[in-house]
Amino acid sequence: MSDLNVVAATPLLITAGTATVALGAGLLPGRTMRRHGPAAVAIAGIVAAFVMIAVLWGDRQEAFNGGLRADRFSLLLSGVFLASAMLTILLAWREPAAVDRRGEFAGLILISASGMMLVASAGDLISIFLGIEILSVALYVLCALEVWRERSLESGLKYLIIGSVGAAILLYGLTLLFGATGSTSLSEIGASLQGTSLADEPLVVAAMALIAAGLAFKASGAPFHMWAPDVYEGAPTTVTAFMATATKAAAFAAFLRIFTGVMPDLQPDWRVAIAAIAVASIVVGNVAALVQTGMKRLLAYSSIAQAGYLLIGVAVGTIQGAEAVVYYLLAYGAMTMAAFAVVIIREREVEDGDSLAALTGYGRARPLLGVVMALSMLSLAGFPPLAGFVGKFLLFGSAVEADMTWLAIVGAVGSMVSLAYYLRVVAVMWMAPLEGQPRKLLRVPGPVALATVTSGVAVVALALMASPVLDACRGAAEALLAP
Amino acid sequence: MPWVSAIVLLPLLGALSMLAVPAAPAGALQARIHALVTAGGTLVLTAILIGLFDRDAAGLQYADHTGWAEEVGLEWDVGVDGISLWLLGLSAVVFLLVVVATCWRPPERPRAFLAMVLLAEAGLLGLFAAGNLILFYVFWEAMLVPFYFLIGMWGGEGRARATTRFVIYTMVGSLLMLVAILATAFVAQDITGQFTFTIRDLVGVAFTDTQSGWLFAGFALAFAIKLPLWPFHGWLPGAYRAAPILVTVLLAAVMSKAGVYGFLRIGLPVFPEGADLLAIPIGVLAVIGILYGSLVAWRAPTMRLLVAYSSIAHLGFIALGIVAFDLQASQGAVLQMVNHGIVVAAAFAIVGIINRAAPDDRIDGIGGLAAGAPRLTWIFLIVAMASLAMPGSNSFVGEFFILTGVFRQHLWLALLACIGIVYAAVYMLRLYQSTMNGPPRGPAPPRQAELRVADVAYLLPLVAIMFLIAFWPKSLVGATTATLERAIAPAQVAADRPADQIRADVTPNPPPDALPLPGDEMPEAEAAPEEAAPGEPAP
Repeated sequence: MSDLNVVAATPLLITAGTATVALGAGLLPGRTMRRHGPAAVAIAGIVAAFVMIAVLWGDRQEAFNGGLRADRFSLLLSGVFLASAMLTILLAWREPAAVDRRGEFAGLILISASGMMLVASAGDLISIFLGIEILSVALYVLCALEVWRERSLESGLKYLIIGSVGAAILLYGLTLLFGATGSTSLSEIGASLQGTSLADEPLVVAAMALIAAGLAFKASGAPFHMWAPDVYEGAPTTVTAFMATATKAAAFAAFLRIFTGVMPDLQPDWRVAIAAIAVASIVVGNVAALVQTGMKRLLAYSSIAQAGYLLIGVAVGTIQGAEAVVYYLLAYGAMTMAAFAVVIIREREVEDGDSLAALTGYGRARPLLGVVMALSMLSLAGFPPLAGFVGKFLLFGSAVEADMTWLAIVGAVGSMVSLAYYLRVVAVMWMAPLEGQPRKLLRVPGPVALATVTSGVAVVALALMASPVLDACRGAAEALLAP
Repeated sequence: MPWVSAIVLLPLLGALSMLAVPAAPAGALQARIHALVTAGGTLVLTAILIGLFDRDAAGLQYADHTGWAEEVGLEWDVGVDGISLWLLGLSAVVFLLVVVATCWRPPERPRAFLAMVLLAEAGLLGLFAAGNLILFYVFWEAMLVPFYFLIGMWGGEGRARATTRFVIYTMVGSLLMLVAILATAFVAQDITGQFTFTIRDLVGVAFTDTQSGWLFAGFALAFAIKLPLWPFHGWLPGAYRAAPILVTVLLAAVMSKAGVYGFLRIGLPVFPEGADLLAIPIGVLAVIGILYGSLVAWRAPTMRLLVAYSSIAHLGFIALGIVAFDLQASQGAVLQMVNHGIVVAAAFAIVGIINRAAPDDRIDGIGGLAAGAPRLTWIFLIVAMASLAMPGSNSFVGEFFILTGVFRQHLWLALLACIGIVYAAVYMLRLYQSTMNGPPRGPAPPRQAELRVADVAYLLPLVAIMFLIAFWPKSLVGATTATLERAIAPAQVAADRPADQIRADVTPNPPPDALPLPGDEMPEAEAAPEEAAPGEPAP
């Protein structure tokens, strides 16, 4: 396997290349070209990358001497990142933040996405860290894209500072892991950790703790979640949507790669740490979300709680757990994107559109958007037969199967609490009377409408047509655990 | 023909078809036609199913089975047995009447209202037909959504608080039920080597007493909240009061049966030891509910609250009949589920009619309606007699069955429950006397409350069913015997009841001769789920 095998890396290379072209397209002469050129280039690139994902789908191939892996796991998650990037670019069609910076916007989203793809397909500790840095640096800039708005700058700065701390901690952990095992290749680390117990490897204990903490920063798991509400609130909402869906998926890709993929034998040792983060996230996220009055902050705390549910699947460390996490990442991406899409649309209509009050009666004014939001909220709360229910069912099921029923009960109790705030959004949208707005089914530009409706449909479709999706997720989980 | 699937999916189809109907003024008629056709069609199909039903068979009949995501145990599995048959019938009748009443005097946004009613119907029919725990859970939860919107968007004062309470109360129980469902499947897999959520395959699994107790408790909490058993009834008064009257009818007549149905269909057969462990506590709570509901109903200031609390008392009787583990008592419980549904649907409708003359709903604000509304008085008298279980009425048969069985098993519980019957007479007669008799008083002339054509069309079928059941209860009870004998037999065995009371054989699962040695069990148990995944989609 000691060859370059560039073909296996094509999705990543296409995405990165497209990012460069999109950056350039923003500088082209001609107003129309500048306006729509970058987005068109980005979408074309994403479609090409999707095609390559479909072509490569199958058993594992390695590129760059094992530094990159193209297996079902990395390809499926790359699909999630790309879909998320595509929806973000569609939603940003008339984004004020991107008026003069369309090239930068599309380019940076794609750079970030390629960083995520690098994380998901990493076969090496270095690739993981590189990927995390690439995706973060692009996001630092994206958060501060609305340079004329103080909150946006604050958000970028906060994310930069806290993100760097998180990255430093992660790097420490990775270094210690290298020190303990003498290799940066994931397969070699896995081989040398096989069958060992932590009692005689204090370096590995420290490494695991630091890696878990560093990744928890990125996944916004409590108690490393402090940045999330402020950053989510301050960043342009399209960027927030991208962060909430894709970045979280990337962080969990790293979690699964390192913990479930490389150290399955040490699961009894690390599961306590991960379970503790999971419980803390479920508690903190759900309780804090109860008192929020802004949609973006509410969704930020909700995303912290959702990270907690996802960590349940990591903590159990089995194929079933990994399968559940991958499925839930798909479902979570769809439902979060749907919720943010409605917030984005509302923000462009009224000032202070991200407050919960701005949505009063909105469902009656724009029934289609109301339905999308209701689907998203009910699915996040875990109502059947929506994608969120199937996801929670799998996550709790994996916990019960691995004799960690208490974790499933914590998740169930957390879901009960979450109902209070998810249902409040639905109630505000549908149960308050119309405040004199004209009734319109949907009044937004075509691409934005397309992205919104697609996310809403995905929430239902992922559940009703769960069988093929679950097959893919199972394949991804098996690829993850293959030596 | 897949009868049961058709019955469950037809209302869903009707609800989805509302998407194609234009908005209110233009599509008002079309929406009504869609709703009437689907609700009517469901009743016709249900009636055919009742005709085709084999009354002597104990198992699930007309079972339909299709994969959904079988890798993880999700599948479509519906069927009908002697218990669910009558609940399907009850739902189909009550929902059709509600749809007719809605179409007669449409609320604002009729299209959405009717769509939600049909979704609720699909949810409840699916719940009563589900043969798979996950599917049961899906319907259990999914039906909350239409009710949430029905109360929240069309409800009266205090609806926001009432809906939130209603949903949170219910979800508290049901999310733990989800964990219990998962735990049941995995624990059963360790015992039988088969990973399944199908209820009939889980019957007879030899759980240890501790396992059975905890799993039953996980289910019982959800059922008790839905029932509602005292002290889990906090959501009920608010929801019944805030909902539009037709939705209150649906809640009280149909949705309230979900909890008792769960006990009878899942709790007793699958977790007999756990049910035996908790039978007395649940029985005590049921009796407290009977007394508490009756007393509060007696002093209730408004008519709706009176009927709502009387509902708690009546459901207490049904729950008591189930935990007695007695064939006659459980037959009475099933009969009483139907009776209560029919009677309470009529009672709330009458409250709605009286409210035309007394919009503030207060009992002391209205009186002497008999002078201006004689027809209403007649119907009300019949319904009141049925509600307080007058000998000769349909409820009398049901309560008699229940009490006979409970007397046989738990004398003191039965004695206490009898006090509830006395109080039923007190509160129902109080309501009847103060509103109908005496000199006319109230804000509007009594003629306002006289029955109109629409009211007669709604009430007459209900009264006809009451008489039918009163004179010919065997038609209903007969079909339940075989199913109930088998459903309660495991619990009777667990409770060490005398052999002459146990009418059905309890087949252990796995059969004793097929039990592998402890050493063989482990690889088989682990191999089962992997084998099941590729193997099952073939049929």
